[in-house]
Amino acid sequence: MVSPAFRTESLTKRYGRVLALDGLDLSVPAGEVFGFLGPNGAGKSTTIRLLLGLARPTAGRASIFGTDAADVAVTHRRLAYVPADVALWPQLTGAEILELLARTGPGTDRSYRDDLVERFDLDLSKPGRTYSTGNRQKVALVAAFATRAPLLVLDEPTSGLDPLMELEFRRAVREARDNGQSVFLSSHQLAEVEAVCDKVAILRAGRLVDVAAVTDLRRLHRTEVTVCFTGTPPDLAHVPGVQAVEMTGATSLRFTLTGPPGPALQELAAADVVSLAVRESSLEEIFLGYYGGTQR
Amino acid sequence: MRAPKPAAERTDFGRGARLAVTALALRQIRRGALIVTAVAAGMSAVAVAAHRSTVKDPADAAALEALAGNPAIRTLFGEPVALDDAGGFAVWRTGTALAVVLGVWALLAATRITRGEEDAGRWDVLLAGRVPVTTMVARHIVVLVSVSLLAGAGAFAGLVAAGATAGGAAVHSAGLALCGVFFAAAGAMTAQVFATRSSASGAAVAVLGVSMLLKMVGDGVAALGWLRWLSPFGLTALARPYDGNRLWPLVILVVVCLALSAGAAAAAGRRDIRGGYLRYPSGRGPRMRLLGSVQAFAVRRLVRPLAAWSAGVGAYYLLIGVLAVSMTDFLADNPRFADLAAQAGFAGLGTVQGYAATLFALLAVPAGAFVAVRLATLAADESGGRLTLLFAQPLTRARLLIGEIAAALGGVILITTVAGLATWTGTKAVGADLDLPDALSGAWNVLPIALLCLGAGVLALGWAPRAVTTLGSLPAAGGFLLKVIADTSGWPVWVGQLSPFAHLAAVPDVPVNWPAAFLMTLVATLAAAAGVVGYRRRDLRT
Ligand SMILES: Nc1ncnc2c1ncn2[C@@H]1O[C@H](COP(=O)(O)OP(=O)(O)O)[C@@H](O)[C@H]1O
Ligand SMILES: [Mg+2]
Repeated sequence: MVSPAFRTESLTKRYGRVLALDGLDLSVPAGEVFGFLGPNGAGKSTTIRLLLGLARPTAGRASIFGTDAADVAVTHRRLAYVPADVALWPQLTGAEILELLARTGPGTDRSYRDDLVERFDLDLSKPGRTYSTGNRQKVALVAAFATRAPLLVLDEPTSGLDPLMELEFRRAVREARDNGQSVFLSSHQLAEVEAVCDKVAILRAGRLVDVAAVTDLRRLHRTEVTVCFTGTPPDLAHVPGVQAVEMTGATSLRFTLTGPPGPALQELAAADVVSLAVRESSLEEIFLGYYGGTQR
Repeated sequence: MRAPKPAAERTDFGRGARLAVTALALRQIRRGALIVTAVAAGMSAVAVAAHRSTVKDPADAAALEALAGNPAIRTLFGEPVALDDAGGFAVWRTGTALAVVLGVWALLAATRITRGEEDAGRWDVLLAGRVPVTTMVARHIVVLVSVSLLAGAGAFAGLVAAGATAGGAAVHSAGLALCGVFFAAAGAMTAQVFATRSSASGAAVAVLGVSMLLKMVGDGVAALGWLRWLSPFGLTALARPYDGNRLWPLVILVVVCLALSAGAAAAAGRRDIRGGYLRYPSGRGPRMRLLGSVQAFAVRRLVRPLAAWSAGVGAYYLLIGVLAVSMTDFLADNPRFADLAAQAGFAGLGTVQGYAATLFALLAVPAGAFVAVRLATLAADESGGRLTLLFAQPLTRARLLIGEIAAALGGVILITTVAGLATWTGTKAVGADLDLPDALSGAWNVLPIALLCLGAGVLALGWAPRAVTTLGSLPAAGGFLLKVIADTSGWPVWVGQLSPFAHLAAVPDVPVNWPAAFLMTLVATLAAAAGVVGYRRRDLRT
């Protein structure tokens, strides 16, 4: 068995009355791209801040490559971090910020960094105050990937990136994996996790609800379908994959669909459908349907 | 397409939004507002009471007469008018100091709640709603103006309650309040011109410094008396409370304040959100100096503010040095006034050494404020998330904090050194008898109080990071106020002894009080150590 990149044992964090993280037991193997999926407020950032030693656990412990997370002078030598909200020094230019991070960090592959700057299309001569959210994120991503640290901890790193840059990001993650690095990627987007991760942990309201291979996530996908028709109302109740059928009017209805759409479409064909709208459910809705229960 | 709405609903909603903005502005400054109002009321009342114990018989009148004629006294303390009246005496003793305190508070509050909030991105959401940016700025100014008026009312209440006559008190309080209004508006204006809070605050502080200088020169040099018409402090003095109560200067000041406030609000409407009138270059070549370690980076962030603080402190102490001869000769010739000054907490002004020692004691206030502001900046960088990337580097929090402490310490040593050198240069220029080692030791003598500020600030950073500025400046600013008030109001002796200033020897007039200096340093070190422990244990605020 490979030794884990990090491991948490009953890791708990309480903020006043809010139990942000409730006894998380998680072990992330080295060399994998590991997704950390959960809706907003699930406790992803809290977990990551505990791993980084930025916050102290209320109970439990976390260790990174076998060293306690509180010993940051040691653990941070083997990891790089991209925070959820990247704030840069307003008066330093991008180049100066990268220099500061390179010289105070665990070591940097400067030629790879220049390559990444090029690929992320980053103008390094601008002062930090003038960067947009996406550009601030790119600066932090470049600095993190350029360390080639054994563990990359990325907290929703693509929330400000445009689709083109998201592709560059995915490429950089694959390069890191090919290089033997571990990547811990938090996200609230199913599609992003599916695109780059090998395995995923699912967090909801501070609790770990599932750890699965990404190939198993297909079952999670849900679409919401709204149809208007002129004929007799279709009988969808027993069609496989169809759930939560709801008549929204005399000639319209809504249902959710998991799995292949074929049977449902066949049934609809008989009903003289005049319009059909399809929407991918949000992660919150998926979780509500899949795991049930209440939100925090 | 625009959906029409009933007019009544629209205006109601707009009013609600504007009230919300006002409430927001008020919430951000209420604590400071209460403090400045209390200080204005308390100091005014105490000064009136002090008059009774200081000025006892008509023989003092002659000494006071001479006082009004001395340029050094006039420059440093303002032109004394109506010193025979308790109210007039209080105005002379506290008027300028209160106007500066209120002005500094008002301008810092103005840049903090306008540019600071906007720069932090917290206005984006608000401005996307129904409130236009001119209304935002105008509402914030209105709130600051109200607080200035409240502080003026506090001074009025303090004066009258302690027995001064109301007419002069009204004129004085109005002038005081208008100084607050002026600098609130000035801060709001620089907040439109500059795109960052620190530059806006710096520019507004510079306006205050120049205003003060104009008044001092106008007070001291008869031929340049007209300069006072160009300064809010000067206009306030020209109103001559308790000595004619002239209203004209105040009317001018009101007009200027109105114009400046309206100008600031209007200026807000013609710029980009998060932008200012002065644009920063959108790109520049890299400057890689002092980026090699967190310690070096702490120095890099220190350089600019340190230069500004040193320039301000240096200019003031150069003036102190230049005035040395005039002041000491005057006091040597007027022993009665030397007595009065001694009772008012300015003993030993009759010799150059004593004079220098007395004024060096004041240096503890800016020196302490400097270290408090450095630590408050660190706290703001933490809560603003700018430190997060550094905290993710392989270095301990203690190392980062100690680098910052070392930089602040080096900075405050430099500031006191500059003060000593400037004083010595000034005294050399007028041929006064002050050696360089004396000047430097006098200036360095306040370092233990600055260390106390550093210790208190680090303690706050570790355990109550929101209170860094307040706790950090407490030993210097609070200690100074406590000493002055305790000296003049006849409180029990032990209360005054709580102030570190009570244990500060008058160096270079007398030798350093080493036991006290050692004890203060020890207390500061223990507080800082406790602060570091707290800082290592707590969650970072990001
Ligand atoms: N510093 C804090 N103080 C109080 N509550 C917090 C703090 N940080 C996070 N929380 C709460 O903890 C929960 C988890 O937050 P977070 O970890 O940021 O979620 P995620 O990153 O998954 O969106 C939320 O309910 C949030 O409000
Ligand atoms: Mg988060």
